This record gives sequence, C-alpha cells and structure tokens, in this order.
Amino acid sequence: MLETFSLDGKVVLITGGGTGLGLAMVRALARAGANIALAGRRAAPIEGAAQEVVDLGREALVVTTDVTDSKQVDQLVTTTLDRFGHIDVLINNAGAVQENVRKPLWDITDDEWNLVMNVNLSGAFFCARAVSKPMSDRGKGKIINVASGFGMRAGRDIYMYCCSKGGMIQLTKVLSFNLARYGITANSIVPGFIPTTSTDSEIRSTLPRSGDFLPTGNLGTPEDLGPIAVFLASEASDYMTGEMIIADGGGLAAGITPTGHAPVVALEL
Amino acid sequence: MPTLPEYSLAGKVAVLYTAGGDEAPVLAQALAESGAAVFTIARRQELLEPVLAGLKQYPGEHGGIAADVGSGSSTELGKAMDALGASYDHVDILVNDVRSMFAQPLSEISIEEWDQIQSRNVRAAFVLCKELGGRMRERQYGRIVNLVSLLAERGMVNGSAFAASQAAVLSLTRSLAVELGTSNIRVNALGTGWMTVEDIPLEVQQEELLVRYTPLRRKGHPRDIGPLLVYLASESCDYTTGQAVYVDGGLNAHP
Repeated sequence: MLETFSLDGKVVLITGGGTGLGLAMVRALARAGANIALAGRRAAPIEGAAQEVVDLGREALVVTTDVTDSKQVDQLVTTTLDRFGHIDVLINNAGAVQENVRKPLWDITDDEWNLVMNVNLSGAFFCARAVSKPMSDRGKGKIINVASGFGMRAGRDIYMYCCSKGGMIQLTKVLSFNLARYGITANSIVPGFIPTTSTDSEIRSTLPRSGDFLPTGNLGTPEDLGPIAVFLASEASDYMTGEMIIADGGGLAAGITPTGHAPVVALEL
Repeated sequence: MPTLPEYSLAGKVAVLYTAGGDEAPVLAQALAESGAAVFTIARRQELLEPVLAGLKQYPGEHGGIAADVGSGSSTELGKAMDALGASYDHVDILVNDVRSMFAQPLSEISIEEWDQIQSRNVRAAFVLCKELGGRMRERQYGRIVNLVSLLAERGMVNGSAFAASQAAVLSLTRSLAVELGTSNIRVNALGTGWMTVEDIPLEVQQEELLVRYTPLRRKGHPRDIGPLLVYLASESCDYTTGQAVYVDGGLNAHP
C-alpha cells in the first residue's frame, strides 16, 4: 500500500518551486524519490531548492522562466524533456500574491489585473498546454494545479487573486475531462491561509495572524502540502481526476457563522 | 522504494463500520497494510466474514463484530463497544463505509425502506461519530473518514432515498469537522463513483454505458481509493477537514 505513494524515478516539473508552499512540496517530492525540474522567475530561490534536491540524492534541473511568456514556457518544457526524456507530473504552483494588497476596486489598474491573471491563470494554462502533447504521446501524465480557498469564496478587496484561483479550479476540471482519454489526470490542491515569507511581507494586514478564526484553531504550515502533492503525483491517485484536495483548517466547511459561535436550540414540540 | 513515513498508520487503532456493499474487505486491508490494527463493525454477519478472512494475511491484532449500530438499539451499539473495548483501550481512526446502495422509483419506495436506508447509512454514522468521537475528544486526537457516493452531490433517477442518505453524511462530516476541530480531530469524506470489486478486463467493462460515460473509461476498484483513505486517516492529514475528496474517474467534472 504505502509503496504506491513512492515517486521513485519520476520526473516532476514545478513552477515557483523555490519558496513558500512550492519549496515545501519540492522537499517532500524529492524525499519520495522524484527528480525535479524547477522553474521560477528568479534564479536564486530555485537554485537553492535544486541544491536541496541534489543533497537528497535526486536529480534537479533549474530553468529560469517567466510563465506569463508562453515562448519561455515552451522552452522550459523542451529543456526538461532534453534533460529527463519525459515529464510525469506538472505542478502549476507559480503564483502572484503580491498584488493581493487591499485596494478599492476603482483604484485597480488594467496592468494590475492583467499581471495576476497572467501569472496565475494564463501561466498555468501555458504550462498545461506545453506538457499535454508529450504526456499524451506517452499515454500518461499528471497535472496538479495549486489553487486557493480564495478560488472558492470571496476575499475582501481581493479581486484578481480570487478570480484567477477560481479559474484554476475550473481549468482543472476542463483539463481532466478533456485529457482523460489520453491517460492524463488533473487535480487541484486548494490551500487555505498558510503563512509564508511572501504573505508575511506583502499581504500585511489583510490576512489573519493566528488560527483563532479556523475550526482547527491553528494555521497550516507549508509542510502540510507535502503529503498531498506526493499523493497526487503518485500512482496512488491514478483513478482521481478533476478533483481537489482542500487544506484549510476547516474554513470552507464552516463560514456561515463566526468561529466559536455555537447556537443551542431546543427541539420543537 | 523511497516513501514518506508520514503516511504510515503503524500503531494506530482503526474502527471500520460497513453498512453494506462488498468493498469493506479491501478497505480494511489498506488500513492494515499501512500498519493499523483494524476492528470491523459490520451491519450483518455476512458482511463481517470476508473482512476478517482478508485480514488474516496481515500482522497485527484485528477483530470485529456484527452489530446493527444504526438500528437505534442501544443493545446493538453496546455489544459493539464491549467487543471493541475487550481488545483495544482507545480508537485513533473511524472509517464509516455507509454506502449501502438502494435505487427504486419514488412511487415504489416504502416508508420502511426509506427508514432502513437512513438508519444503516446516516444514523449508524452519527451514532459511531458520537460514541467514538467523544472518546477521541478525551484523548485530543482522532481521524474520521466517511465514505460516500458522488450521489451526495448529484441527483439520479431512482436515487432519491440513497442520495439523500449520502448528502446527509456529507453534511454531518462538515459540521463535525467544525465542532471537533479544536480537539485535534479531523473529519473528512471520501467520495466514490461507479465501483466494482471484480477485475474485469477494460474492453469488457467498456461495453457498459456507465463505464463509457466515466472520463477515465473504467469503474473504480476499492484499491483505487485505499491510498487516499490511508492519507485521510493519517497524522499527516492535519490541515484538511470538513471536505469531501472524490476518487471517481473524473465523474464529478462531467457535465
């Protein structure tokens, strides 16, 4: 049973794997046996992550890539195929959170809207499109999209992030439905709020500082996503497609009352 | 082969309730193979025997009893709890396989049949969550996984009574996740589509309309859901709660 979770010798391509949630997933994937191609806009974080992969005895490839540029994405996939021969798993993790700063709707510029939609949603589409043909030629492949609880619910003064992440959940369903016939599955990981360096420095006052608002009473950690990413990347999830795994401390299951509100109503006669 | 130790259930005590169907033996084996001791509560003796027979090949102290815990009889629940308590002093994991299937036209469903489906599927899940959830709360640790059909979310001709029972269990899952969250108890649902326990060749399966309708073009086997069951039952499933995760060959994304 537990061996079905192994990624021994599998090739995983992950975007934005140098920091935050992506880095935690990279560490878990490498521990489970995967060789990893890391793509990111900045070289330093993915080079650091690649070194950790190598230190765990796996192979790593670093390709600086801006996922909003489909030519760079196509080149990323070509470079990965040249190095490893095939791609078993794509993880669309690159995301722009820095635009997620509170701002009234009337102050949001076209450029701000386009940047987040391009990084989060178009970037994921470009990557999925680029791997789809080589994966279908092999008759197997797995695509994992990292969405967000904000793709399921609204956030105060958060427009582009909510819309782009909702789009990723829907992209997952459409990919799963259309690529099933080629042996390719697609699933989403939907994290709730998990503090990272990125959210700490950029989102500031818009997100909670503690887990008091959550049913579990605790905030998640990036490490919570490791076993989920490994499961979705492994053959343990072969019959699962078009789905999502939500890791949010119970937030989405609740939400009709403030946390801690516990009404008591006697049975009517 | 390298694997993450986080998924291991070594040292854990799991209670598996089966309301019906033929998947419980494979689910019990998935838990046992991952290291858990499995105690099975089966609604009928005929459901229990294949589970116990299948567990013989796995080390660990496994056991079980036939008890209709959803009947509302405190004797049935008490019998099950006594047998459980005779072998184990605590419970870490509760798995409710409450997918006892039933499909009839609305006009043909008797009140007795409606009550029976709600009892064996919903009331049994509630009774066990209440009893064992309380014990988990005392120890401030627990994992509860409720197995439901995709009919918890969708409608089907002739599916009214069964689908309502599945939606009820999903709803129970959400509220209990919220209510038990701060006690370090996680409650999730694992949803399934069209299943079979037989290993039928693909080309034979695909003669069936339901199989061709399923995006992955085959029925699910309980082996397909075993690994996710193990993850949801493990300590590493700590930030996921109150959710349904479907392993259904893509049916949920189907228009």
